[in-house]
Formats: sequence, C-alpha cells, structure tokens
Amino acid sequence: MATAAAIAPFRVGLKELYLPDFSVVLHRTPGLPAHNAKFTVPLWFSKLDLRDYLYHAYNVRILSVRSYVKQQRIIEGDPKNPRPQPNRWHRPRALKHMIVELEQPFVWPEEPEDYSAWNREEVKDSEAEQKKYGELMQPMGDAVVNEERRKSMREQAKALLEGRQKWKPTTSRSVGSMLSR
Amino acid sequence: MATMHCTSRALLTGAFGSAFHRSSTLPPSFLIPCLATKSPASPFSTSPSSNARKDGNPSRGVSALHHTGPGKRQKLRSITPSQLPQPVRDPERRTAIVTDPDHGLWGFFNKERTSMPTPMDLVNHGRGWKTQELRGKDWEDLHRLWWVCVKEVNRLETFLGEKRRVGSMFGDFEAEGRMKVIYATQKAIREVLTQRFYAWENARVAAMDDVEVNLYADPEKGEQAYVPREEPEQLEADANEGTLLYSPPPPEGMNRGPEVRI
Repeated sequence: MATAAAIAPFRVGLKELYLPDFSVVLHRTPGLPAHNAKFTVPLWFSKLDLRDYLYHAYNVRILSVRSYVKQQRIIEGDPKNPRPQPNRWHRPRALKHMIVELEQPFVWPEEPEDYSAWNREEVKDSEAEQKKYGELMQPMGDAVVNEERRKSMREQAKALLEGRQKWKPTTSRSVGSMLSR
Repeated sequence: MATMHCTSRALLTGAFGSAFHRSSTLPPSFLIPCLATKSPASPFSTSPSSNARKDGNPSRGVSALHHTGPGKRQKLRSITPSQLPQPVRDPERRTAIVTDPDHGLWGFFNKERTSMPTPMDLVNHGRGWKTQELRGKDWEDLHRLWWVCVKEVNRLETFLGEKRRVGSMFGDFEAEGRMKVIYATQKAIREVLTQRFYAWENARVAAMDDVEVNLYADPEKGEQAYVPREEPEQLEADANEGTLLYSPPPPEGMNRGPEVRI
C-alpha cells in the first residue's frame, strides 16, 4: 500500500486520521451502469473524503462523485425496539448517499436462485401472522372482523336449526369450574 | 428520429422528387400543381410576424442532449447519417462486462464473492481479541487489525443493506452477533493503546522528578537520557523497606511546576 499511497492520482490531504469509527455501505444499483457505484456514507463525509477512503482502504480509483442527502420520514419510537413506543414522534438522522464513477467497471454478483438458506418463507409467514395480530392491537382493533369465526358460527347455527346437532351447555374452563360442576 | 420543420411542399418534393429520379413512377395528376417550383405561397395569418426572437443563430434548436439530430445548416462532411453507429438496444446482444477479479470493491464482499452471506456463514466466527493478547502487539499491527475490523463492519453493513432491499429473511441476529465480536476487538485495541499512553505519561511524569533522568537529552549529540549515580541511594530503614509499595518521598520545597500531574 506504500507504493499506492506514493502514486495517488489526486492530491492527498495532510490530515492523518487514526482509528476511524464509521462505516461505508455499498449498494446494488441495477438502474445504474456498471461503471457507477452507490455508497451510503456518514453525514459529515465529503466527496474528497470518499475519494481518499476508497483509494487508501480499497485501492479503488474513481473519476467523479455525486452526492445527495436524503431526509428520513418521521417515525414513532425506535424501530429496533420490539416494544411499541407510541406518540414518540421524531425524525431520524438523514442519510448521505454518494454515486461514484469508477475507472474499472464493477458488476454485483448474481442474486441467489432460492433464498432457502435465509429461510425466507418462514419469515414471510411470521410477518403475515404478526400483521394479523397487530391489527387487533390497533385502536380500531375491535372493529376487525374474523371471517372464519363468522363462517363457523353460521355453519353451527345451520346445523342446530336443521336438527343435525343438539345444543349442549358449554363447559366452562374458567377458575370457577370446580364449583360449577 | 429528427423532427423537421418543413412545409408540405418540401415533404412532397422530398418524397416524390427523389423517387421520381430513381424509379420511373409518375406522381398522380392531381398533385402536379404541388410540384411546381414557384407555387404561390402566402402565410395563413395576415398579422405581421415579429422577429423579436430571431437571433440569427444557425444552430438554434439543434441539441445533442435532446436528440434533435443535425439541423438544416449542419453539414456532416466526414460521414453520412446512414454511417452513424446505432446503439444496441437489446441487452442480450450487448457485450458482457467482465469485472476485474482484483477490483477493490470485492473488499465489500465475502471470500466466496456471493451477493449475501448466509446466516450459517455469519455465525461461523470465533471470539474477539482480548486486551491481554493485544498488549504484545506493536503500533502498526494494532492499526492493521483495526482496519480489518472496519472493513468487516462495512461488509456486514453492505449485507444488511442488500437484505433490506430484498426483504423478509433471517440474518439480522447473526450479523449483530458478528458485529459485537468486532466491536469487542476494537474496544480491546483502544484499551491497549490507552494503557500504553498512560504508562508513557506516568513514566514521563516520574522522569521529570527523577534526578538520574535528563529529559532534554539529545541522542543525536550523544547525550545520555539516563545517567545512573555512582553511589547507590541510601534509603532509610523503614518497615516497608524492600517492598514494591515503598517509594522515596519527593524532596521538600521542590517546585513541581504546572506540567506535573498528580
């Protein structure tokens, strides 16, 4: 890397940084050509910082950089916290993205054929279940109609009226069951 | 295709004029008056047209960005329009871009160079470095290890970003576990460097009081920083003599100065 630093294609800054504590994220951009790459960088980053970072850390040479700051929408509570925190509205910190023009093209690896290693089906099913039960927790939760129960009740009523089934008192499963024998 | 501003007369002469010379098809009889070179023409509107916007620019309306094509005054002398290269619109017919195997951006991916590591791959890690293990490492090695950690964090964040794009899959918990190990290593590195600095600082402070040490010595001129005294120091007989806890008290009336930290 010493030789790479000696022949940097741009004027290297004099400020030395030790033990950096930030991350730079590379994104897949199917809409952009192969010579472009998109990164999410810290909000205080500049185009010169990214050029320096990519050169010294990854030995990637670039021709130009474009940057934009994307404001985040306001959210309730902490998305990482599983416990819901209602009415704690706030706007998370904005994100800074930089799109870079590379000297050498880079094509992302292909997506895997099936996501069985990541168990996608199970997660999708669990999310659907969570959504269903989440609807009941909403303020309008008691207005949610359980169609299956309705159908079952209709069938039971029909069976009783047609005489296929005889009415029996429901066995109570509550605490007082020992008393109400 | 280029949008041309032309009159019906020009269209017809273009369409039929060239065709007339190449093939021997004659235009229909009712169109013969249109082909007259000097047909009477007058503008539809009788109000005078203002030439306020006419700037006399021969290239007005010609744009490469908006694909207008060459204007009437533009003369392509090197090639004809038919010789211009056509873009390959079908993606399958385009030449495939080959990524250099030594490209620097592969540093954002795992060794197998797949788009995403599986949860089993993510969980496949050991524990982080401990402070005791890092104490023996030198400055360069510690900083190299720090950067290894930084690049691994970038790799994990890239995976999380791609996972967010695809959606609904496992991998968060495993990536978080891996990140915790990396943060533990980084914390240990910081701890070792901090302890080293404190030890150096304590040594410097002790050296300022020490008579045997000359902090202003210039090694290039051959001056010695540590000049031990000839006679051994006579320590007073004390109950604590010989133990590590005993240290001689500083001489009284000595000006400690602003630099000495207690």
